[in-house]
Amino acid sequence: MMSENPLAPRRAEVVETRFMTEKEKLIRIRLLEEDFASDFRYGPGQFVKLGLMGLGEAPISICTAQRGREDLEFCIRNVGSVTRTIHRLSKGDTIWIRGPYGNGFPMIQMEGRDLILIAGGLGIAPVRSVLHHVLLNRERYGEVTFLYGVRSYDLILFRDEILDLMRHGDEKDVRLYLSHEDPNDKAFKELACEMSDRCTQGVVTKLFGLTGGLSGESAAVLGGPPNMYKFVVNELNKLSINPPNVYMTLERRMHCGIGQCGHCIVGTGKSIRYVCKDGPVFTLWEAMNMRGLI
Amino acid sequence: MHLKGITVDLKSGLYRTLSKDELGSFFEGLKRHGSVYGPVKISEDSHAFRKVDDLAQMDLGYTRTLIPPKKFFIKPREDIFLFDEEEATFKEPPPDQEVVVFGVHACDINALNLLARVFLEDTPDRYYRERRERTLLVGLSCVPDENCFCRSTGTSHAVEGFDIFLNDLGDKYLVRVGSMKGYGAVMDGNLNLEEATQEDLGKYKAAEAARDGLFKRSLDVNGLQTYLDLSYDDPLWKEFGDRCLSCGSCNLVCPRCRCYDIKDYINLDTKTGGRNRLWYSCMLGDHGLVAGGLNFRPTTTERIRNRFNCKGSLREGLPNCVGCGRCTVYCPADIDYVEVMKRVRGEEP
Repeated sequence: MMSENPLAPRRAEVVETRFMTEKEKLIRIRLLEEDFASDFRYGPGQFVKLGLMGLGEAPISICTAQRGREDLEFCIRNVGSVTRTIHRLSKGDTIWIRGPYGNGFPMIQMEGRDLILIAGGLGIAPVRSVLHHVLLNRERYGEVTFLYGVRSYDLILFRDEILDLMRHGDEKDVRLYLSHEDPNDKAFKELACEMSDRCTQGVVTKLFGLTGGLSGESAAVLGGPPNMYKFVVNELNKLSINPPNVYMTLERRMHCGIGQCGHCIVGTGKSIRYVCKDGPVFTLWEAMNMRGLI
Repeated sequence: MHLKGITVDLKSGLYRTLSKDELGSFFEGLKRHGSVYGPVKISEDSHAFRKVDDLAQMDLGYTRTLIPPKKFFIKPREDIFLFDEEEATFKEPPPDQEVVVFGVHACDINALNLLARVFLEDTPDRYYRERRERTLLVGLSCVPDENCFCRSTGTSHAVEGFDIFLNDLGDKYLVRVGSMKGYGAVMDGNLNLEEATQEDLGKYKAAEAARDGLFKRSLDVNGLQTYLDLSYDDPLWKEFGDRCLSCGSCNLVCPRCRCYDIKDYINLDTKTGGRNRLWYSCMLGDHGLVAGGLNFRPTTTERIRNRFNCKGSLREGLPNCVGCGRCTVYCPADIDYVEVMKRVRGEEP
C-alpha cells in the first residue's frame, strides 16, 4: 500500500558516520525494510531523498556503485537544517530514505570509450559512483583520466582513496590528477613534490595541461558547481569531444524527486525539464538546448 | 462502479437531455453520490466552489471561480503521512468522503486532465487517485467574458475528464456522459433524463458555434515554444519583472499550476507530527533556492520568465495554460497574460 504513496519514505539505519572534512561527513546506511531493500536498484549518478521525521528531507547523491545489497554511502555537507541534523546522527540511528531518483549517468552508452572524469569539491560524490562502477566493470571501459579540483588538502574528500588512486591508479589504468586553489597549502606542496606530474596549483581546468593527449572520442563525466562546467566545457571543446558525449550532473532545489513539485524546473518553452526526473544528468548538447541550465 | 438494476443499452445513453424544470430534482439526485460543491457568488466579483445544499445557492451563470477546482484533488495543505517518533512508524490519513463537484467549466476540466497526467501517470499519487475516484465531476457550459481565451488554447471544449457534462441549449441541457460513473448516474431513473433527439444534437452544434463567436480575446499559441526560447534575453522580462510583486497569486489561481512544497511539522507533544504537501508558487523568492544559499532564480525577472516559459511549454504533452484568464484577472500588478505572450511573439498587444 505504501508503494502507492510515492512520497512515503522507508526505514534505514545508520551503520557508520565519519568526518571526511570539517563540513563533510561520510554516512553509510542500511535499508531495513526487506521488500524495499531487495528491490533497490540504482545506477551511478542517481540520488535519493534522505530524511528525518519532523525535520524534512534533502536530495543526496549515492556515492557508491551497486554490486548487490551492500550498504549505501553518502557524502553529506553540513549546509542546511536537514544535513546539519544528519551530521548529528550516530551508528544505530534511524534515517528515512526514498528513491532512487533521476536518470544517472548512462554507463552502458559510455562502454568502450576512454573516460574523462572531472570533479570539483563536493561534486566528487556522484563522480565517485561512476568511478566505482568502472572499477567493478573495468574491461568495459577504456583509459580513465580523473581530474579532481579542491580548495586545499584538508578539503580532499575520500582522501585516502584519492591519494591511493593517485599513487597506484596506473595499475588499473586510472590516472588521477589533483589541483588545489590555495597557493600556500603546505601538505599539497609536499604532495606536488612527490607527484609533480599529477598535481598542480590552480583551478581544475589547469589539469588539462598535465594530462597529455586525451582522445576526442572520450566520454566526459562532470560533477561540480555550475561555474566549473563553463570552464571545463571550453577545455573539452579544445579536445573536440562531441557535446552528446559530455555528461554533467546538475544541482537544483528538489522537493518531490518525481517531477511533480516543480522546484527543479529548467529550460524554456521548448525545453522545459525537471532536473529530478529528466536529469540530474544532462549532456552538453541538452544544455545547449536548455537556456540557463549552466 | 456497479450498475445494479440498470439496463445497459448499446444504442443510447451517452447523450441525453435534461429539462431546466427538472434541474432541481437532478441536483437532489446527485446528492446520493456525495456532498455537492458548486459555484457560489462570494463577493461582488468573485465566485468559489462551496458546499451547497440547494440549487438556488449556486450561480450557474458564473464565469470563473477565484480558486480552481484543483483544490478538490490536491489540497492547499494536506498530510502525506502522520508519524509517531517514539514508535518509529507512520501512517497515512484515511480517504476523503465522496463529493460531487457541480458546474465545472471546460477550461478547468482540461486543466484537471493535465494534472491527471502529472499525478496519475509515471508515479501515481494515491491521494489524487482516491479523490478522483470519489468525485463525481459535473461539467457545465459557459459564456466567455473579455478575459477568456480558452478557444485559443484549444481548451474551450471538454472532450473527456468529466463524468457528466451539461451543455445549455436554452430550455434544456444536453447531458454528455464521460465516464462509467457518469453513466451510472444518468441511467438512474430518478434523474428524469430523456434520450437526446437529432434536433437536440443540432441545437448543441448551433449553441457551440454561437459561443465560439463570443470570444473577444485571442492568442496564437502555434510555435509559442520557439518564440519563448528565442526571447530568453529579451528586455520584456525585466519590464514585467519590475512590475511583478512576486506575490504568487497567479500560481494559486491557475488551474494548471501544481508546484508544491513538502514540509514537516511536529505536534506540541514533540513525539508526533506529519509531513505536509502544500501548494507552492514559482514566483516566490525561494522557489529555486538550495541549501547553502545558491538561488537559481533570484530575481523577479528570472522568475516571471520561468513562469511564462513553463506556461507556454508542452512538457506534459498539453499546453500548460487553459486560457481561463484567472492570472490576469487576479494579478494585483495588472500583468496581462495574453499581453505578455503577444509581446513574446512580437505582436502588438
